[in-house]
Parts: sequence; structure tokens; C-alpha cells
Amino acid sequence: MSRPLAHLSDEAVVLLAARSEESALAELYDRYGRTAYGLALRVLRDERLAEDAVQEGFLAVWRTAARFVPERGKASTWILTLVHRRAVDAVRREQRRRADTLERAPEPAVGGVDEDAWLRLQRERVQEALRLLPDTQREALELAYYGGFSQSELAERLGQPLGTIKSRMFAGLARMRELLGEPGMEMSWTSTT
Amino acid sequence: MDLHDLTAAYALDALDADDVEAYEAHLAQCDRCRTELAELGETATALAFGTEAPEPPTRLRGAILDAAASERSNVVPFPRRPWVFRVTAAAAAVAACAAVGLGVWGASRSTKTEAVSAVVVVGADRHATLTVSGLARAPHGKTYEAWIIPHGGNARPAGLFAGGGTAVVHLRGTLPSGAVVAATVERAGGVKAPTTPPVLSAET
Repeated sequence: MSRPLAHLSDEAVVLLAARSEESALAELYDRYGRTAYGLALRVLRDERLAEDAVQEGFLAVWRTAARFVPERGKASTWILTLVHRRAVDAVRREQRRRADTLERAPEPAVGGVDEDAWLRLQRERVQEALRLLPDTQREALELAYYGGFSQSELAERLGQPLGTIKSRMFAGLARMRELLGEPGMEMSWTSTT
Repeated sequence: MDLHDLTAAYALDALDADDVEAYEAHLAQCDRCRTELAELGETATALAFGTEAPEPPTRLRGAILDAAASERSNVVPFPRRPWVFRVTAAAAAVAACAAVGLGVWGASRSTKTEAVSAVVVVGADRHATLTVSGLARAPHGKTYEAWIIPHGGNARPAGLFAGGGTAVVHLRGTLPSGAVVAATVERAGGVKAPTTPPVLSAET
């Protein structure tokens, strides 16, 4: 597949997308579509709904690329946030998952040799960081981010005051940030060519 | 309710619908929360990379691109080539960026068109970075020289680069509003004023 924009930074590609350059949207999809789909599938546990969330998220990228401000964060964060938000909206609408989100995600249908080595490395590091968190913090992050539970739903489900849930989410993210900040933990796309 | 305490939940998309609006209004006025959100948001997104990532169905890519293309038919078309992108003032004039891609220049200007793309990113302090890819390596004894050309003024030398692959050039000095960023081929070591026609130029 020809990727004429492969050497540009994420942020530069977003700038081109903001100028209606369709190849720029294709490039962003090629960089983050797979991660976005994996995330949506984890939240929604339904392939069709996951596809819809990814599609809506990337169309939001397309429509709002001109408003992206690099100083406020990375393009990859912005793109995956747009997809995640739609997945969470959908799961709350559908009232799906709920019972089984405490379990690990199912083994992927594909993976191993098929999976990009870089993606696998990132996944292992993030999972390792999660494992190092205190149980209560890991639980709060996983239920919120992968389960799509709101903080008040979490408080009810876990039988804890709302303030405790807020503290766990904050402390969990702060600790994750330290763990992921260690050398070599770069989450953005890098060219492998 | 202390709105400052909602940053982590917002980063995780875990606010209840009623709280989102209040938090976003607060965010617009609170530097501390914006800074914190930039950090926690990045960390929350790292969780996206923590999931198994099966290959999405191939039809999804096409569906997204088709939908995007059909949406664009409703808007005023942007001139395609040559592209010269004006700086778009970002929100609150915090930053501005311009991107430019040119059809073009290869050694000896052969008939084979080489895809060159360049992006100028201008920071709030008016310092700018030029990123160029697809430009052939400068011939032996030559270099590319970047220029900042203020509106109605003379070109100022802004840095040298070799070309080939992707070059990132932190332009020397600041970029006045409305200036043109250009690059020419010059003798190794650079010169004080351009002596050849630009191989690329971007109006900012």
C-alpha cells in the first residue's frame, strides 16, 4: 500500500486532514484504526457496534481536524479520545457488557504472528503498568475506561462513596503516568520504515 | 462539588452526562485543569494501547473514507494543487499552523513528479519549525537553505538542511505574521541571500 504521508508527524497529517485531504484521513486510519477498533471492541463487545464507534470517531476527526490544537495534546490522544467517547456513549445507550467487564478481554481471533510487533510491545507495557497498580485503582480505571461506567455508577457498583472513586481514578492515572513515563514508553506512532 | 476533582474522570470519559457540561465550562477558565487534563488524558489514552487489537474488517476503512468523501461534497472545495495553506489561527490565537505540499521538484526536474510535502508549524512565541519530506538530497557541494521572507521585506537566512528523508528545520529567528517560508538550493555552507528559485514556499 502506498503511503505518501508516512513520513509526516501525526500532527502534520491532522493539518492536512483539516484541509480536506482524504489521503490524510486514510493515513490516520492506517496508524490508529486498529488500536481504535480494538478499544471499541473491548468497550462494546460487539463487532458491529465497534465498527460504528470507530467510523463515527474518525468522521469526527475529519469534521473537526481544523480545531485540533497541538499545544493541548498529541494527535493520537485526540483521535483515540474521539473514538473512545463514542464507544462509551454507545455502551451506555445499549446497556451492554456490564456483567462481564471485570473479566479480561477475550483472546483475539487474530494476533501472534499477525499482530504488529510495535502494538504488541505497547500492549504488554500498558498491561504491565496496570498490573503494578493497587487493585482498587486498577479496578476503577478498567471499569471506567474499558467498561464505560460513569463515576456514579462505579460508586454504586463498588459500594464506595463517590469521593473514593474519584480519588482512585486520579491516583491510578497519576501512578500509570509515572510507570509509563519510564524510558522507552513512547505511545505515539513512529515510523517503522 | 469541586470541579477540579473531575479531571481524572473526564479524562477517562467517566463523568456522568450532567457533569460534562459543567466541567467543560470550568475547563475553559482553569489553566491548572487544562494542564492536568493534557497529562491525564494522555495517560488515559495509553489504556487504549493496552487492549488486544485484532485487525478490523477491511470494509471499515473504505466505509470511513467514502463517508468522509461524501461529506466533503457539501463544502466549498479547497484548491488542490499547488497547495498553499494559509496559517489558520488556532483557538485563542495560541498557535498557528500552515501546511504546504508541492507537486514537484526533483533533481533535474525530471518528468517523474516527486511528491514533496512540507509543513510549517508556528508556535505561540512565533518561532517556527519547517518539516519537509520527499525532497531529494541536495547535490554534492550544495545545501538547502530555508528563508523567512517578511511581507514586503528581504529574505532572512533561517537554517540549512540536506534533504532526503524527512528534514526538520527549527527556523532561526521569529516568523512575522504574513511572512513566507521558502527553501532554495545554495552552495554548501549557505549564503546570505537566495540565489536560485525556491524549491518550495509557503505563505503563512
